[in-house]
Amino acid sequence: MILSPAERSYLYDSLAKDELIRPDARADYQFRPIEVKTSFLPSSNGSARVRLTDGSEIITSIKSKVVLAAEEKSLIECDIDIPGFRDDSNFVANLKYNMTSLLNKSFPFESLKLTSKYAFKLFIDCVVISYSSFPLTFISIACYLALKSTKLPKLISDVNDEETAEQPLFSDDWENAQYLGDLNDSKSFNPPLIIVIGVVGKNLLFDPSAEEEQVLENGIIISWYNNDISTPIHNLNFSVHSNMPNYKGLSQQMIMKSILMARKHCANIVKALDQAIEEQTDDGVIF
Amino acid sequence: MSRLELYSPEGLRVDGRRWNELRRFDCRINTHPQSADGSSYVEQGNTKVICMVSGPKEPSNKSQQNSSGAVIEFNVSIASFSTTNRKKRSKNEKRTIELNTTLERTFEQSIIRKLYPRTTISVNLHVLAQDGGLLAALTNASTLALIDAGISMYDYISGISAGLHDISPLLDLNTLEESGMSFLTIGVVGNSEKLSLLLLEDKIPLDNLEDLLAIAIAGSHRIRDLMDQEVRRHANLRASKLVK
Repeated sequence: MILSPAERSYLYDSLAKDELIRPDARADYQFRPIEVKTSFLPSSNGSARVRLTDGSEIITSIKSKVVLAAEEKSLIECDIDIPGFRDDSNFVANLKYNMTSLLNKSFPFESLKLTSKYAFKLFIDCVVISYSSFPLTFISIACYLALKSTKLPKLISDVNDEETAEQPLFSDDWENAQYLGDLNDSKSFNPPLIIVIGVVGKNLLFDPSAEEEQVLENGIIISWYNNDISTPIHNLNFSVHSNMPNYKGLSQQMIMKSILMARKHCANIVKALDQAIEEQTDDGVIF
Repeated sequence: MSRLELYSPEGLRVDGRRWNELRRFDCRINTHPQSADGSSYVEQGNTKVICMVSGPKEPSNKSQQNSSGAVIEFNVSIASFSTTNRKKRSKNEKRTIELNTTLERTFEQSIIRKLYPRTTISVNLHVLAQDGGLLAALTNASTLALIDAGISMYDYISGISAGLHDISPLLDLNTLEESGMSFLTIGVVGNSEKLSLLLLEDKIPLDNLEDLLAIAIAGSHRIRDLMDQEVRRHANLRASKLVK
């Protein structure tokens, strides 16, 4: 819904106040409630569906393939599909670039190594069924949940195949399949996340809604990996439906402030997502 | 390569069904109440389809307006992860365009278009997984979502595929069976024996066609009943929430 100048001015003033008031009474660090379902696609290694109360919905699937590690540029390929947009449109290309650079910079690739020559390659496909606000955070949340629920077949052949010309052999029993997170038993597996932060006056808002987006002065995206800030960090125009009439430059302090704010609250977001995964039932039903 | 036995002498198919048995059919209506005017989700075996209808609404483009009736647009998008081997599909693939046109032609006949002049009804279909009977699942999902959107239709259109193995007709094929025999997909109008959709991409001997159509029509009627059950379940649920 596009706001009128009067509505926009009212919303801007309430968001720019020292004690900000958001239209849905959220605190500045609060996300909108999400509904989550994982492991519903039998032909994918991992899958997740994320839905917001405003109807935005994202489905992510993860498929794997055994490849010769030396021949691949990257062991992760991420693709985003938004109906109504061409794959080479700015909007899709931008989302895809952010997700690809996030995953390539912050991912425990060693857990994908199978033998000295072979490795798993993951294909991450996101379908944005519908959206109203800038969907990057929810795409990354859907990827997080799908990666956490990804199961890969158990390797039964020898890990050391430097001399032999043998291809990796897997257990026939799918019951033996392991979660991606358990392959690397040294530390816990936490895929990266991207947090979208809106800037209004001196305030920062996590997860701006479609209405809030229209009065933002700027937008920052911050990545979170292994309990710390990661890259990409940059500013962005989130406008999906309008052209952000208030858009202007970004002061350095706001970047520092947003990093501090992300440090303070991201661990709780990850905790909430992990809890959502634990509450999943293994019924394979999508809705 | 040794050919897989699609239909054993004992009368069992690869997944253990008899010739006239459907796969598990599961459907939901009103799955996306916030983001679409009408929505549905259909599972036919391992084929999974989400459908979202928006409209009747004002067309974005004046040239698409038709003063005698609604313009119906279909937009099928097949996810790259829908098949066992991941394959990136372009949006303008010939096969997808053909699916769109087939569905548009089918539903132009069954929607009472004259009630919605100068409007567009757009139907978005997302294929999440495919294992045979794609067009049939798309047809069923569209019917349910159009009903959910409250768009007037003459009757249900229920789709099913059937194939011919040697001389025996088989109902509701999966991918393995589809690749091994010639098959057709039909869309039946309600409980009648009228067809509003028939797609046959290879050859079937004329002598066997009647048997094949008979079993397919019987299968469609069963699908119609299952869809009707779901629509009534949902309608009762809604009615129970009304304030008396």
